[in-house]
Amino acid sequence: MDFFSESLKTALELITSRDPDVVSAVTVSVVVSLWSTLFASLAGVPAGVAVAVTEFTGKRAVVTLLNTLMALPTVVVGLFVYSLISRQGPLGGFGILFTPWAMVVGQTLLAIPIVANLTMSAIKGADPRIVPTALTLGAGPFESIRRLVVEMRFGIMAAVIAGFGRVIAEVGVAMMLGGNIRGYTRTMTTAIAMETGKGEFALGLALGLILMTVALMINMALNALQQR
Amino acid sequence: MSIRYRLDSIQTSYDSRTVLDIGRLTLRAGRLYILTGANGAGKSTLLSHLALLTAPTSGEIVFEGETVHWSNSALQRQRRDVTLVHQSPYLFTGSVAANVAYGLKLRGVHGDGLKQRVEEALALVGLAGFGHRRSRELSGGEAQRVALARALALETKVLLLDEPLANVDRNTSDLLENIISALPARGTTVVMTTHDPEHLERLKGERIHLTAGRLAAPQSFSNTSVEEGEIQPCRLSPKPATSFSIA
Repeated sequence: MDFFSESLKTALELITSRDPDVVSAVTVSVVVSLWSTLFASLAGVPAGVAVAVTEFTGKRAVVTLLNTLMALPTVVVGLFVYSLISRQGPLGGFGILFTPWAMVVGQTLLAIPIVANLTMSAIKGADPRIVPTALTLGAGPFESIRRLVVEMRFGIMAAVIAGFGRVIAEVGVAMMLGGNIRGYTRTMTTAIAMETGKGEFALGLALGLILMTVALMINMALNALQQR
Repeated sequence: MSIRYRLDSIQTSYDSRTVLDIGRLTLRAGRLYILTGANGAGKSTLLSHLALLTAPTSGEIVFEGETVHWSNSALQRQRRDVTLVHQSPYLFTGSVAANVAYGLKLRGVHGDGLKQRVEEALALVGLAGFGHRRSRELSGGEAQRVALARALALETKVLLLDEPLANVDRNTSDLLENIISALPARGTTVVMTTHDPEHLERLKGERIHLTAGRLAAPQSFSNTSVEEGEIQPCRLSPKPATSFSIA
């Protein structure tokens, strides 16, 4: 118990003193996750809306695929992207392996199914009168869908936040594609894994506390949105 | 009076069950039509076709002399001459004024003209000063009136009303009746559904009665302007008529 309380005390000191390693890991985590979430939203929200509002052959298969991809193991995504961007891979010429952008690519792929699926659920759960109401007031097909998105914006924002929650807490992609380079690609999760392995429990715990705080804030935001 | 709609050989089926079967129906400008029939008689389906929202399974709808092509880009232009107020209307999130302004903005009305028309429409339904209120904070009757104001502000050629008087108190009902009955004089074609015999008696309209998706001869109803010769075939027919001209 002393070990835990001592570690906790040291962890709080690291946080309050703004330890450079802690600040760097938090910054990299947040910045990479924000970019990933942005790109995942740009792809996932339109995709989710499109699947929800259109009928096409194979729609059920697409929905099943999206559901399956929500549980995609992070190391599988890491492996897939690694094979693409490594020096021998087809995109190796870009030279982004072991950079934050490699992590962004991997985390974007990880978040897209979540954002798309939850957006689709939000749109499918929308009031069925929204589109006909917009059409009877003079909206065209595109405007009526835009109105639907506006009306369901809180559900869509919840989907985006859930995507952010997924990527900021993942470790596989960050480790495999970022390389856990100190001050460059080391995130909270990769730092926790490494520091705990080294026996530096305090730093891992400090980052764990910050990560838990971020998770708590995400959940509070989700709850607030779901109640609107 | 010019012809607004001509429906020819309209049939609509859901899961191989025919819910609407109309041989011919003509609706004219500047008239109030009262659509009656039991639940499931096809009233909402007919309103949906008249609103140009859904296509019949077969048959032709001619609107303002132009055949409606359901996959044509002209459909949106034709739709802008029609609006429908649902029995349980949906108000968009935001203010009452934003709701009333929505269709006007889509028609390119902005600035002071927009503000004026929004205020006029709200005043018409007795909701002057309600513009800043949130749509979610309104009572059912107020929401009904906002939906009507939203439709009236557009000044469309056709106003379709699905049970507009069903969920409102007597005072609101009287107010809405007065507004509705004044519209045909402005050239607007109004088609409204109702179940209430009192509304049938008070509103000076022409009745369209549906029985199991088919047009039926009007029953005893003082306001009907349908001529005797037009309903005769229906009386002689062993099954409900499929052809009926209200002209």
